[in-house]
Amino acid sequence: MNITAHPVAPEEVMAFLDGELSAAEARTVSTHIELCTDCAKVVEQLQSTSQALAGWKVDPVPMKLEKSVRDSIARVDSGNKIGKASLFIRGSFWTWKQWAVASGGALAALLLVLAISVPNLYRSRKAAMVSEFAYDDNKQADRDIFGVGALGKLQAGPPASEQQSTELVAPSATPGVAAHAKSTFHGVGGHLQSSSSEDGEITDNVGSYATPMISRTVLLSIVAKDFAASRSLLDRVLARHRGYFGQLNVSTPENSARSLQASLRIPAPELASALADLKTLGRVESESQSGEEVTQQHADLIARLKTSRETEQRFRDILQHRTGKLSEVLQVEEGIARVRGDIERMEAEQKELEHRVNFATVELQLTEEYRAQLNPPAASVSTRIYNGLVAGYRNASETVLGIVIFFAENGPTLLIWLATLGLPVILIWRRYRKALASI
Amino acid sequence: MQYTLSALVLDSEAAKNRFMGDASERPDAVNPAAAQTDEQLMVAFSRGSTEAFSELFSRYKQPVFGFFRRRVADPAQAEELAQETFLAVLRASSRYEPRALFRTYLYAIGLKILRAHRRKTAFRATFLGASAGFREPTGPDTADAELLLRQAVGKLERVDREILLLREFEELSYSEIAGLLRLPVNTVRSRLFRARVALRELLAAPVAKLPAGELTESEERI
Repeated sequence: MNITAHPVAPEEVMAFLDGELSAAEARTVSTHIELCTDCAKVVEQLQSTSQALAGWKVDPVPMKLEKSVRDSIARVDSGNKIGKASLFIRGSFWTWKQWAVASGGALAALLLVLAISVPNLYRSRKAAMVSEFAYDDNKQADRDIFGVGALGKLQAGPPASEQQSTELVAPSATPGVAAHAKSTFHGVGGHLQSSSSEDGEITDNVGSYATPMISRTVLLSIVAKDFAASRSLLDRVLARHRGYFGQLNVSTPENSARSLQASLRIPAPELASALADLKTLGRVESESQSGEEVTQQHADLIARLKTSRETEQRFRDILQHRTGKLSEVLQVEEGIARVRGDIERMEAEQKELEHRVNFATVELQLTEEYRAQLNPPAASVSTRIYNGLVAGYRNASETVLGIVIFFAENGPTLLIWLATLGLPVILIWRRYRKALASI
Repeated sequence: MQYTLSALVLDSEAAKNRFMGDASERPDAVNPAAAQTDEQLMVAFSRGSTEAFSELFSRYKQPVFGFFRRRVADPAQAEELAQETFLAVLRASSRYEPRALFRTYLYAIGLKILRAHRRKTAFRATFLGASAGFREPTGPDTADAELLLRQAVGKLERVDREILLLREFEELSYSEIAGLLRLPVNTVRSRLFRARVALRELLAAPVAKLPAGELTESEERI
């Protein structure tokens, strides 16, 4: 049948037979069918198909089904409840609102778990990084102290207007404390003795380290109500315990809390009492302590130093008691120079190691409890709008940068997880769809 | 040639239960509930009349069982799903609002339960390796003609098949089918025509079993 040229489509004929046309349409189609053999054929075909389907009978309702439903009706009649449907069936009756609530709940639970677990993970990683940096800083500060003569390091803050920097002379520069620092400590690392001879050689009593040598680091974060008072109290605490500033940064930004970051070096025996005093500066927000045992490292260093000194002595004996060619003498001189260099390097290492044991490091973060103050009249509207635009641009660019950095940092890991979990999920999904199609 | 509107209306279970026969056969002579419409009975049941639901069950037990029996190969599962449909109506009676015909409401529940059953069976087949389908035994109890019909209908596209069954056996109008399957009425009409033509061809020359393919989005909803 040519549908384009035909006034009545076969589907309309079918709709007519199904009683789906209006009275006027039905009259038109009925009249057409009487005149059109093609449409009459369509009618015949549709009727024969339906008649064939009419032969598909089903069994009568099983007695078990009838009894079961009648029992349920009786239970409802007597005021009892009937059991719940299975989860699959209940799920199929959910409205979009219920699905939205359930999905939202699941998402909220997931976010809650992430919100709890991710910061903890981040904090532990950060703490590990901080202790690592603190350790490196300590080493650097010690080198500075040995090299410059125990002069505290001066560091300039980011904006000159917001940062007060102070040049400090460490208390170890004072004769008494310096002398004490070079003499004997009965610290947590045990009894350590080092003495300097006139020509600079250091004689060590390795066997005196009956207990482990431990380099201690303390991270302390304190919030103080009166920043100025706490600042002066900090100086007094340091003087009392014969400690010094390895590094000090004081920040006094406008309309914000002042803060102080300091790397304090405290004689190891004084550490406990110094910490107790430092905690009186304000409310302790966080505290962490760590100790690194360097006994073995120290013992190895001493042994190597001893061997080098013996080697040097042998070279000197050869030079004094043997005669030889000029070239041989020069070779011995070179040997002495090389060994002397090694000895001096190892002596410096030994000093640094012992200093780390003798002086504990306290990384102090002192923050003021900020109180808002009545400010002078704010800047003009145009300035504020300009500042707002600049801040908005900065925030937007930082957000974009943050997203880029997040994906740069986590993208490979996410891809690995996607590849690991995605393939099984796709396979399961295909299997599920295939099973669904076969039902 | 005079074609009546009932030309394609089948001798279905629903038609049988509409009490269109002689007045002497009508149970309203002894049961006043039998004179009420389905919607009136459902409203009465939602207000506490269990007799009303008993009457509804009597009217629809065979159509609902037939609905599942034609769609699920396993008779035991069909029985279970029919029972679950009536229990769902029982559970939801307090929320019933007579906005549409009761039979449309009933078949909407039936379709949801059928969908849940298919998902559950597919889920089990996916994760537990259980058989997804059920092979109907061919024996003296199963007529060859019925088996051929089931196989032919089974080869139709899922949406087409559902539209055809809802029209031929549940006797729903195009707009009711469109509402149940969330399809436009014109789509229902064209797909129904396509299904009837395809079924006629299948019945004329039985075809080899078609492979089970991926479901389309509209098929997923059924």
